[in-house]
Amino acid sequence: MSAVAVKREELESLGVQVLTISVDSKFSHKIWQEEELSKMVPGGVPYPMLSDPGGKIGRLYGVYDEELGVNVRGRFIIDPDGVIQAMEVLTPPVGRNVSEMLRQVRAFQHTRETGEVMPSGWTPGKKTLKPGPDLVGHVWEIWKPDMAFD
Amino acid sequence: MEVMCGKTAPDFEAPAYLEGKFTNIKLSDYRGKWVVLCFYPGDFTFV
Repeated sequence: MSAVAVKREELESLGVQVLTISVDSKFSHKIWQEEELSKMVPGGVPYPMLSDPGGKIGRLYGVYDEELGVNVRGRFIIDPDGVIQAMEVLTPPVGRNVSEMLRQVRAFQHTRETGEVMPSGWTPGKKTLKPGPDLVGHVWEIWKPDMAFD
Repeated sequence: MEVMCGKTAPDFEAPAYLEGKFTNIKLSDYRGKWVVLCFYPGDFTFV
């Protein structure tokens, strides 16, 4: 959560609202913020920290683990129409990659604005493709697999 | 309702803590904005 918090300005400039959610109570969120998060990031986590007792919302999103009694690490990118554009789910031991989340947000915003599509490994500034009849069978001429890597 | 890429995110309302205050958050109140919804196992966990 603190890794997402340090990217506050970047997320704001992209017009992204972050919502964090766990089965903990709002009281627990308050203490976590005051006792720990605020020591990791100045001001703590600046996003609403939602409480999902019993994993009711987690179940709705397919991320509630009945045995563990917690929501696993599920991350959903939702567009301005309320449509899920991306989802990633990890088991608890491994944290997420915030830079990859930001890259995906930028890519989905770009395709929404331009209709262009982003090949594998796209980052801002890299080649995009314009879908259409002329491109069918000709992607190989303008895009090579090694372009997917930095 | 099944959660899937390209489909509408299920709406929900939940109590929340935000910068010193308690509030209620409804997902559909954010229509018109990009939202990143992050589930995590629990407060005070290590990663």
